[in-house]
Amino acid sequence: MIEFKGLVKRFGDRTVLKGLDLTINGGEILFVLGTSGTGKSVLLKNLVGLLKPDAGQIWIDGEEVSAFSEEQYLPIRKKCGMVFQHPALFDSLTVFDNIAFGIRRHLQCTAKETQQKVSHSLKLVNLSGVEQKLPAQLSYGMQKRVSLARTIALEPKILLVDEPTTGLDPVTTNAINQLIFELSRKLKTTSIVVSHDMQCALDIADRIVVMDQGNIVDQGTPDELRKSTVPLVKDFLSEILQKEAEQ
Amino acid sequence: MMAIFQPFFNIISETGRVVQFFFQMLDVWKRKSISRDLMFEQIWKVTVQSSATTALAGFFVGAIMTVQFTMEMKDFGALGYLGGLSTSGTIREVGPLLIAFMLAGKVGAFTSAELGTMRVTEQIDAIRCLGADPIQELVLPRFIAIVISSFFLLGLGLLLSIFGGMLLGKYFSGVNYEEYLRHIPTIVSLPSILSGLFKCFVFAVVLAVICTHRGYSTTGGAKGVGRSVVQTAVSTMVAIVIADWATSLLADIALKIFLRSR
Repeated sequence: MIEFKGLVKRFGDRTVLKGLDLTINGGEILFVLGTSGTGKSVLLKNLVGLLKPDAGQIWIDGEEVSAFSEEQYLPIRKKCGMVFQHPALFDSLTVFDNIAFGIRRHLQCTAKETQQKVSHSLKLVNLSGVEQKLPAQLSYGMQKRVSLARTIALEPKILLVDEPTTGLDPVTTNAINQLIFELSRKLKTTSIVVSHDMQCALDIADRIVVMDQGNIVDQGTPDELRKSTVPLVKDFLSEILQKEAEQ
Repeated sequence: MMAIFQPFFNIISETGRVVQFFFQMLDVWKRKSISRDLMFEQIWKVTVQSSATTALAGFFVGAIMTVQFTMEMKDFGALGYLGGLSTSGTIREVGPLLIAFMLAGKVGAFTSAELGTMRVTEQIDAIRCLGADPIQELVLPRFIAIVISSFFLLGLGLLLSIFGGMLLGKYFSGVNYEEYLRHIPTIVSLPSILSGLFKCFVFAVVLAVICTHRGYSTTGGAKGVGRSVVQTAVSTMVAIVIADWATSLLADIALKIFLRSR
């Protein structure tokens, strides 16, 4: 279980997270939606220790981690795999070495086991046979999938995905969303997905949280959200509800 | 009123951040091992990247020094000392400065852009998430490579400057090769060599720490990377000139102490 208690994060004069409280249950697929600059990505980066909160607490499986040092965060990062907004693949390394990078550092694996884990991860994201290619030789959608494979290769208990479908065409968007859903269920991970895509959230999320100006304005299951009276949520839903009405 | 002093405050705070970053690097270096493969790869890259331009510049520096000294020494009938004086000047001052400027222009800007791009495309965050330390994996191999390569490049530049000086000595000043080379060992003293090596080391450290810091702390997407590269170019040039003044002063004091002790 993950808990944010009164989380505050400031960048200079700007307060991005304003005392946010949120609880995420084990095995849940949670979508965090909101307009740009509302602190969705900052929330994920605080969870994985890339940013330090200015106030508040972060609890992961009963452990308060917000004051952890870089060294103390290592086991937490093994537990929390993060897929970034950019594919964030290392340009000079092949796909194989990109995926093996975390395995070599986090897991005590032999060369053969590493090979097997890399192949298995690529298979899970439906991308076998690209091990020896460089990231630049792959399309953007494929790079995103390799990035996902790199994260799941460490078998994280918590999967954090930051805007997985930004910049992708509708077909690849659907494929990536479906992949996140299947992986989360297959690997039994707790997944937190930051997104702008309400349709996708309604399709695959167990729960949806909507953020605005550094705080949560509404949350609930997809069915509960459909009935929301919060203006921002209604804005997000308007196009979808209109399409559904037309059908 | 305060706005007038703002640029100075900015320079002081930026200098503070660079020094802090330097100590952070040293701390990581003390605690963690650096991959030899990564280090050699970077040394090779830096040396290969800069050797052609350094060699060319070294050749012409030797040639320029010879032409300048010829004009002064001709009247005193001291052209026999041309090689020694020209080489001494190159090793003490022009050589290290030239190498530092070459590295700042090519490797400094490249390193800053490379690390900056890795920062804005979240590769550095990804490294942290995958259980590695980006200072250990990315910054230190580049830092060490710049410092070590600068010595190789100083040697290369110096050799080419002697060669350039010899050619110009013969065809411009009428000093044959043997004559040009004969006084190099007598005029180029141990303090000159040590001073040159010390300067080379200091300039390389200054350059390496500024370019890695600028790249590592880049923010603001592609525009931010461009800004980092420009800031690296400007601040390394200024810092190297200031470091040159400081090391010249130190070298002068050290030379006086050395001469007094003899």
